[in-house]
Amino acid sequence: MLNMRLLLVVPFAAGIFLFLLPESLRVFKGIITLISAAITFYLSYAVFLLPQQQVELTCYLSASLDKYLLLNIDFLSKLLIIFLGFFGFIFSLYSLSYVSKTKKLTNYYSYYLITLGAAFGAVLVDHFFPFLFFWGILGITLYKLVKAYDEDSSSVAKKSLIMMVASDAILILGVALLWKSTGSLQISGLAIAPLGILGTLTFIALIIPALTKAGAFPFHTWIPGFAEKAPASSSAFLIASLDKLLGIYLLARICINIFILQDWMKFVLLLVGCLTIIIAVMMALIQHNYKKLLGYHAVSQVGYMVAGIGLGTPVGIAGGLFHMVNNALYKSGLFLTAGSVEKRTGEEELENLGGLSRVMPLTFFAALVFALSISGIPPFNGFASKWMIYQGMIDFGRGSGIASSLWIVWLIMAVFGSALTLASFVKFTAGIYFGRRSGKYDKIKEVSILMWLPQLLISLLCILFGVFAATRVVPFLLEPIGGKINYTGVWQSSNVSLLIIVSIIIGFVIYLLGNIRKMRRSDSFIGGEKIQEELGYPSLEFYKTISSFKLLAFFYKKAEKKCFDIYDLSKKLVLWCNGIFSKAHSGVLPTYVIWLVAGMLILLLIIL
Amino acid sequence: MNSLVPLFVIIPLGSAFLMAIFGRIIKGFNKVLLPLALLFLTYLSIKFLLGAEGTITYQVGGFAPVAGVPIAIYLAVDGLSRLMLTIISLIGFLACFYSISYINIYTAERKYLILFSLMIAGMNGIVISGDIFNIFVFLEIASIASYALVAFGIDRQELEASFKYQVLGGVASLLILFSIGFLYWRTGTLNIADISTQLPYGGIFVKFIAMVFLVGFGLKAAIFPFHSWLPDAHSSAPSPISAMLSGVLIKAVGLYVIFRLFFNMFALSHQIAMIITVLGTLSMVIGGLLAIGQWDIKRLLAYSSISQVGYIILGVGIGMLILSRQGNTAVASLAIIGGIFHLLNHSVFKSLLFLSAGAVEFRTGERNMKKLGGLAEVLPVTSSTSMIASLSISGLPPFNGFFSKLLIIIAAVQAGYYLLALLAVIISIVTIGYFMKMQKFTFFNRSRVFWQDRNIREVPFVMCFSMIILALLCFALSLLMIPSLRDVVLTPAVNVLVEGLKYTNAVLGY
Repeated sequence: MLNMRLLLVVPFAAGIFLFLLPESLRVFKGIITLISAAITFYLSYAVFLLPQQQVELTCYLSASLDKYLLLNIDFLSKLLIIFLGFFGFIFSLYSLSYVSKTKKLTNYYSYYLITLGAAFGAVLVDHFFPFLFFWGILGITLYKLVKAYDEDSSSVAKKSLIMMVASDAILILGVALLWKSTGSLQISGLAIAPLGILGTLTFIALIIPALTKAGAFPFHTWIPGFAEKAPASSSAFLIASLDKLLGIYLLARICINIFILQDWMKFVLLLVGCLTIIIAVMMALIQHNYKKLLGYHAVSQVGYMVAGIGLGTPVGIAGGLFHMVNNALYKSGLFLTAGSVEKRTGEEELENLGGLSRVMPLTFFAALVFALSISGIPPFNGFASKWMIYQGMIDFGRGSGIASSLWIVWLIMAVFGSALTLASFVKFTAGIYFGRRSGKYDKIKEVSILMWLPQLLISLLCILFGVFAATRVVPFLLEPIGGKINYTGVWQSSNVSLLIIVSIIIGFVIYLLGNIRKMRRSDSFIGGEKIQEELGYPSLEFYKTISSFKLLAFFYKKAEKKCFDIYDLSKKLVLWCNGIFSKAHSGVLPTYVIWLVAGMLILLLIIL
Repeated sequence: MNSLVPLFVIIPLGSAFLMAIFGRIIKGFNKVLLPLALLFLTYLSIKFLLGAEGTITYQVGGFAPVAGVPIAIYLAVDGLSRLMLTIISLIGFLACFYSISYINIYTAERKYLILFSLMIAGMNGIVISGDIFNIFVFLEIASIASYALVAFGIDRQELEASFKYQVLGGVASLLILFSIGFLYWRTGTLNIADISTQLPYGGIFVKFIAMVFLVGFGLKAAIFPFHSWLPDAHSSAPSPISAMLSGVLIKAVGLYVIFRLFFNMFALSHQIAMIITVLGTLSMVIGGLLAIGQWDIKRLLAYSSISQVGYIILGVGIGMLILSRQGNTAVASLAIIGGIFHLLNHSVFKSLLFLSAGAVEFRTGERNMKKLGGLAEVLPVTSSTSMIASLSISGLPPFNGFFSKLLIIIAAVQAGYYLLALLAVIISIVTIGYFMKMQKFTFFNRSRVFWQDRNIREVPFVMCFSMIILALLCFALSLLMIPSLRDVVLTPAVNVLVEGLKYTNAVLGY
């Protein structure tokens, strides 16, 4: 009870307090943030240990507000809370070193803490009104955590906020419709089967905000730009972890608690999920800016979660939620490593980097773990959750209905997406860490402990979650949410991991024993030509062939022009309407008088 | 408390005359007198808002009714009037305080303050008057003062705007006077409460009068298709005046009277309620779509006022529709609370937006967003207050606008008007679109560094003060959602409308 109250109050109070301090005390502000984040992490752990229950908080303002402050502690919200607490703490550690030197990011820590508090609020409350309130605050802080300094970054900030507010507004409509059709706004325990056009609209109006927040196609378009322009710590905190957690949380609530999933809903969710996987990963393949590349992957991975939850079966839901957690881990880790590289080199293009593995070994190690995880290589965590989702899809095929009969399509798309992810992470890892190092990067050092420690901690979790997936993590964290899981195929993660570790050790021993250590190092062989300074690592060139492939080239070109961007499309539509109305407002007085008279005559004609 | 009612007109009217006489002789007299007078009015109106209950009437001259026929001029202050009085006095005080510094860029400071004071007197008069002819008289006082204030810059653009405003406003006044004449001819009385007992229910005559009233006051409230004067007038006036016009005047002169007449004087009719709601929706949609293409900050804000007034009318109109077909009163109250709350909120954030735009113009002399940019660094206070107001008007929590839009949308869905709810949602997205455009091009976008060689500082304290108070109000008004506070401030105003023709009993005391 007290813990939950503090969980909401501490981040908000500390965040508001930090507004009062001047920007020159940045380090001090960072330390206060770290302390409050540590406290909330502890509190979230304490809440995590509580049994399932519903708690009514008393609000001292007015007794009639109490019914809105009903908190719901079930396995789903506990899962979210512990990870929100963890990420809040770990990124505040990273920010301490990363943000302190980045100039002009005003009130970063205040908004950081308020974001954290609002996220806790959104996850805990069991009534839609306070949920809308907290959800809306998250939109504002999202806007404030981008550093709007020039044309591009202010556009990105603007676009993100507009899309967030649009989704908020649609959520309000959805909530209103839900209230109309059920008469209740309690999030847990509705379980309705949507009927008729009203039910359909309610479902659509509720999933759009969830998909926008998480970033699924076609509402994903704010994410890549945000990833490119925002500070890496903001990206890691928001688009990699927090927004994914919250968006998928809402989706899970909709699919588990609010609606009983119908066949067409499953079809919609699976279609959205699988399209997201493929489209985003195709876009990721052709990126040159590594932060933007990560942004597209942040979108692509959402597809797996949406598809998993869309299956509606216990294994699907557990797989989707497990993927949510895993993705939050490795994707935020990737953003952190990207931030470290950016901080040391000041470079954002893959072409201009290379060979950093030697100068930044810890960052390299972490990035490698994350890259292997996201590509779904066993024994890392990404594999475990993808495996569950594949299992779920195969299982799902036994059911009846249109969504089930297409199971093979969903499966192929998901597996294909995974392969493309691997391909693009070869590019990412190779582009930054392997290959020839440009001379100007010889002097750079590993980042400070405040930055590499979070990276390593997260990578450790990635490994642990992968190795103990089937034995510990899934039964303990996820099975209570979606129900008991029956596997068709058996994946014994611990045993397989053991085998892999043994093989790695054997390989290492061979490496030590043999003469391989004395191997010769030299530049890539390029036909005897002397290697030029500007010549990049050739692996990147390979990916250019994708974008020049005829059929794809057409789509890529259109995508570059933002022809598929829902934001730009609606902007064009609105401006077109604006053009029509503006033409009518000529500023000529007689015209206006005619409007007045005509308006009056029409009104009189109608009424009389 | 009854005897204090006339003070709302006497104080601003008296200050205007005192300033005209002594302002020339005593230096600094005007700048001290008017803010103090308005501060006192603010105190008084808040005291009324929190302290008074029911309808307070005051018979000018003290003539008692003869054989049940009211012969005195009635002043009636009920929940709705009290709310409006508070808005007028509070925003009036802040705008006037802001003007103390702002007026330095103009020359005729004395005339400005006199007109300002007359405008306040006119608006207060409309709101407390229970007599339809007096409403017309005060309406003309407020309107004529505002015509002069719009033209205050006496440039070509300002004069043209003022001229358009006068012509269209004149036509509207004519229509209003015309229908008052008709009413007097048929009922033989000018007292609103008395008229409503004398008017026959339904019938072509009542419908005709109602429509002419709607056109006349609709023009004052800038409802589509009578909105065409507003963008010019509100963008050309000096910024504190724009804040008054958009924040208060169109509500006191237009919306308030429409609500008063159509709920309390005419019997509710479904047809008229439908017309009002449809016009409100059209204003909301078209105003929003027009605003997004503007590049002049104040013109953008002016179009946005049309759109937001549409929201207010939408909320109240839905309530009217439900009441007129004897629907669920709880839903009707919800819709009307949404509308009235939005009226209150809009007066706060729209005046804040105009004051912030004024601060930008004060320091840079520029209103075209294409030429501005990066001001967030040099005008931190202006930038943050403007941001708060923008977020608030776009309906983001924890600001007040979120709650009023939420109520309006929920009420629309509850009443079964799904299309209206959808339009309200879409326009709220368009709203955030154009406000983010304004924020981006005015305060961010550092690549346009036009201010770098100009040495721009933050605006003086006096101006900052008003903006900060309004920004705090954007937060504080959210608290009105707490039921115990809502019952003090909003519910009495809403009850006046929901109870409809019971107004007569309350005023005349039968």
